[in-house]
Amino acid sequence: MKRLLIATTALTLTMGTAASAQDKTLTISVYSFAQDEFKELVYDPFQEQCGCKLVVETGNSVERLAKIEANAASPVIDMAVISTADALSATRKGLLQPIDTAKLSSYDKLYEIAKDPIGDHMAVGYTFYATSIVYRSDKIDGIESWSDLLSPELAGNVALPDVTTNQGPPVLYMLGKAIGDTDPSLTAPIELVSEHADDIVTFYVRSSQLAQLMQQEEIWAAPIGRFAWGQFKDNGFPMAWATPKEGQTGGMNVMVMTKDNGNEDLALEFMDFWLSTPIQTALAEALVDSPANSEVTVSDEIADNLTYGPETANNLDLIPADVMLDQRENWLDQWNNKVMQ
Amino acid sequence: MFENRTIGLALTVPAALFAAALFILPVGILLSEAFKGDNGFSLMAYVDFFSSPRNQTVFFRTLKLAGLVAVVSAVVGYAAAFCIVSLPAKSRGRMFGLVTLPLMISPVARTYAWLVILGRTGFVNSMLVNMGITDTPFRILFTETAVFIGLLQLFMPLMIISLVSAMENMPRDAIPAARILGANWFQVFTKVILPLTREGLVVGGTLVFTGSMTAYITPAILGGSKVLMLETLLYQRVTVANDFVAASVIAMILIVMAFSANVLLKQIATARRTRV
Repeated sequence: MKRLLIATTALTLTMGTAASAQDKTLTISVYSFAQDEFKELVYDPFQEQCGCKLVVETGNSVERLAKIEANAASPVIDMAVISTADALSATRKGLLQPIDTAKLSSYDKLYEIAKDPIGDHMAVGYTFYATSIVYRSDKIDGIESWSDLLSPELAGNVALPDVTTNQGPPVLYMLGKAIGDTDPSLTAPIELVSEHADDIVTFYVRSSQLAQLMQQEEIWAAPIGRFAWGQFKDNGFPMAWATPKEGQTGGMNVMVMTKDNGNEDLALEFMDFWLSTPIQTALAEALVDSPANSEVTVSDEIADNLTYGPETANNLDLIPADVMLDQRENWLDQWNNKVMQ
Repeated sequence: MFENRTIGLALTVPAALFAAALFILPVGILLSEAFKGDNGFSLMAYVDFFSSPRNQTVFFRTLKLAGLVAVVSAVVGYAAAFCIVSLPAKSRGRMFGLVTLPLMISPVARTYAWLVILGRTGFVNSMLVNMGITDTPFRILFTETAVFIGLLQLFMPLMIISLVSAMENMPRDAIPAARILGANWFQVFTKVILPLTREGLVVGGTLVFTGSMTAYITPAILGGSKVLMLETLLYQRVTVANDFVAASVIAMILIVMAFSANVLLKQIATARRTRV
């Protein structure tokens, strides 16, 4: 009897879900990265929970932002995940609306840096990463400072991120910090890099490219995001992760809500689901994203591959989004004119 | 082919409409960005682009590398094509297959292979060190040399294919006839082979030059941002600076250069024909 009751209830629920699924649709815009894992760990469970249909649009930030801008009058995308600088850019163009954080039950569990990264509650951080220096511990005694990247010991054996990558400006900022110049124009560190341009093997664009260069012994050291550490630590060489005295830098990705999308409640429900402890834990355990939710606990082995824990999170020296956005063009010009010549 | 020319033309309409709506129109809209100023039509975007010393460097580097790849492809291509057409039919098919084989492999895979071959511990450097030519490995990767090698390997098959088909259409007894009449091999090449295969050279040259100029993957992987070329610069302008005007300017320059290369090569071929 009990089984029959459960079966009937399940059937009724399923039928109800099927009916409402046709009514409720949430369109999200995300990075193309790890979509199989996201489908399994986030999208499918959410569709089951809300009884709605989730339409996932992927692409690089430029394409996705262009689409949001083109459809600003009648938004197609309800929520998007982008970088803090892109979120601020979209905010300034009037494409976003504040997120009603009171409706996010997981909001209080987030690390401080993720709660309101661009101000006015226009975005909520869902993952972040540390950037530091990975190096061959058999070739170099140790890396104490970011300026060691340009030391004679590493000349001809180091790669730096291109200024056009997410890692580029934060690394330049830390180089500036190492020589005592933290001006947002990054003029001093760009000058410094240009003086050593011949000692740098390449300015990399993708961390996967870097893994190969390390494997081929083209380079002994390079700054990388913690999310790429897994590609290096088991490459057959003794590898180490530096903790320079100036600290670690990094980046953060955030969730945003498009303006007047008419689907705010469902979008908030999805954000809350994604930020919840079980989902953030599942994403961390699958090594997809480092958790922004402070309640997430993972094993030491998993944590080793992530940017994890309150100490790391609270000590990340991130470039503010407004500096990133306002200076981007200036950095690129200086870089192209000094380093690329 | 069609008795009624109208039917023939009518049959091209669907394809023409398709190309116009989905290719010419969007490309036109995109490129029109580069001619917009505050008061309508303007060429200021081009003036701005070429006034930057960095852009000039990138422009001339692209032109130089694409030109060099086309010239070296033609020189090596003629030798390879001549060998291939001289072979018996069965071996010719095999050799032709070997030439076309790389075209069936993704350019990304081919270019990544060069990363391994040209690296400091790669095949080329290991050989040079073992032969005692150098003590310390050369830095080849992320230089213009690496981009040149990558582009040459990528596009030379197109030149060889064009030249082989041109040589196959050459009268079979033209070379023996020239030899009997006392021409040396240099004269045979300049007075017989070159004029008779000029169409193949024009097609091959255009394909190799425009291909090298517009390739993105090879300069991006083998040159990196230290060896910026027009197409890597275009990518950078769009994805980082969100500067669609500069990107349109670069796209327009690439299109103009491709057309110019074709026209120039045709001119050279025609000039040769009138002289012969």
